[in-house]
Amino acid sequence: MPDKRITIRATRYDPDKDQAPRLQSYDIPFYDESMVVLDALNYIKSNLDGSLSYRWSCRMGICGSCGMMVNGTPKLTCNAFLRDYWPRSITVQPLNNFPVIRDLVIDIEDFMHKLKSVKPWIIRKQEIPLGAGEHYQTNEMIDDFRQFSECINCMLCYAACPVYGLNNEFLGPAATALARRYNLDSRDQGLKERQPIVGDAEGIWECSFVGECSVVCPKGVDPAKAIQQTKLDTTMRFVLPYGNRD
Amino acid sequence: MSEKVSSRPALAHLFWWFMFAQGGVIAAVLLPIHILFQGILEPLGFINVATPADVSLLANPIVKLYLLVLIAVPFFHFAHRLRYLIVDFGVHAAKGVPAQVVFYGGALAVTLLTIYLLLTTAPITF
Amino acid sequence: MSADAETHPAPRLYRWRMPANWWTRNRHYFLYVLREFTSLPLAIWLLWLLYDISETRLVQPTAFAVFSIVCLPFALYHSWTFLSLAGSIIHIKVLDRPVSPRLIVASQFALWIGGTLVIGLLLLWLAP
Repeated sequence: MPDKRITIRATRYDPDKDQAPRLQSYDIPFYDESMVVLDALNYIKSNLDGSLSYRWSCRMGICGSCGMMVNGTPKLTCNAFLRDYWPRSITVQPLNNFPVIRDLVIDIEDFMHKLKSVKPWIIRKQEIPLGAGEHYQTNEMIDDFRQFSECINCMLCYAACPVYGLNNEFLGPAATALARRYNLDSRDQGLKERQPIVGDAEGIWECSFVGECSVVCPKGVDPAKAIQQTKLDTTMRFVLPYGNRD
Repeated sequence: MSEKVSSRPALAHLFWWFMFAQGGVIAAVLLPIHILFQGILEPLGFINVATPADVSLLANPIVKLYLLVLIAVPFFHFAHRLRYLIVDFGVHAAKGVPAQVVFYGGALAVTLLTIYLLLTTAPITF
Repeated sequence: MSADAETHPAPRLYRWRMPANWWTRNRHYFLYVLREFTSLPLAIWLLWLLYDISETRLVQPTAFAVFSIVCLPFALYHSWTFLSLAGSIIHIKVLDRPVSPRLIVASQFALWIGGTLVIGLLLLWLAP
């Protein structure tokens, strides 16, 4: 049986030599139906061109490291199967909307800064004493925020969001979804502390509900829903300050 | 990103988003039937419905109030959407205060114009 | 980004530039722009209606009908997208159990159908 092959076109950018990124083609064997784009990149790096640079780690869709544009769509390359593209070639580019450091590696500083700015941890006005025991939480209370806690910080949503692409000041989908995850957590008392960032002009209000962030999210977080719900909650909270706690 | 001092959300944005939402509901629920009946079927003679020609109806204050809501509130929805659409086309200036004055001021102007026209056309007689 | 400034200055980042035609590259982006664009014909339609009200007659009935035929699909697309999305945003709890988003969307469409019926019947009933 003849060996199946597939063409991978990957972005190359050497900041010391290149003015702009360019695409380089690699022809590789497609030796197993379970191969993913990340396997293809690893094959290239191991066998054809050791200079190709890219991020990856767990290879199973949980670490969020291997996000790249695959044929124009932001995907986790460990979750993009070659069989879904073959026999057409696959173009692998660094995630949209971010500065490129080298080849397929993007500068994630902006996202890291935004993530930290929403204080994605339990904020207590007063810690309960150790002797009082745990914070009790029912399954229903966890269900309130469970979906938004699934975020793996892979930044595919930022690559998909045209608002972020046009305006780097925008807080963005994942950061807002995580802010909401903590705001909805019954143990958390930090909503007001997050308000200046989340409710800022460059926060939720910049979002025009394109919705592409939720389409590309590999974990079903639905950050678009998180942002719209935050808009509604923020408005209701302002209109009825003593009422609606939700 | 600079440090924010205020602990309140950006109130202007909150308010315009609220108006956008209200205008959206009204436009979504009411516009299609008005367009279908008063815009298409009546002028083409297929049905007979209330139209702007019915002066006695226009004189009714409840009708005036309904028309004010129908016409003016959706303009806050349109203003918000069109302003952000222009931002999406790369016009960064559309985010600034002058653009907000133009768009939301425009919606406000339409509201005032509507009030004026509704009060002066077929005026309410007591 | 840290760099060993003595021997290696920080490498040149290649800055992202948003292509002007970004909204044509993807079906979802195009539909989004279309959704937002519906505001324009609908705004013009309402202004035309306002004008006719100020003149207490349909000034140009045929032109208005033609324009309305163009506007109706935009209005329907606006209603469909707005009410579907509104359903996904609103989250309420009845007796501590969250109401299913499908039910909320259904209620939005029920509101639309109800409003259409009420106004439609009123317009017919109030005809001269």
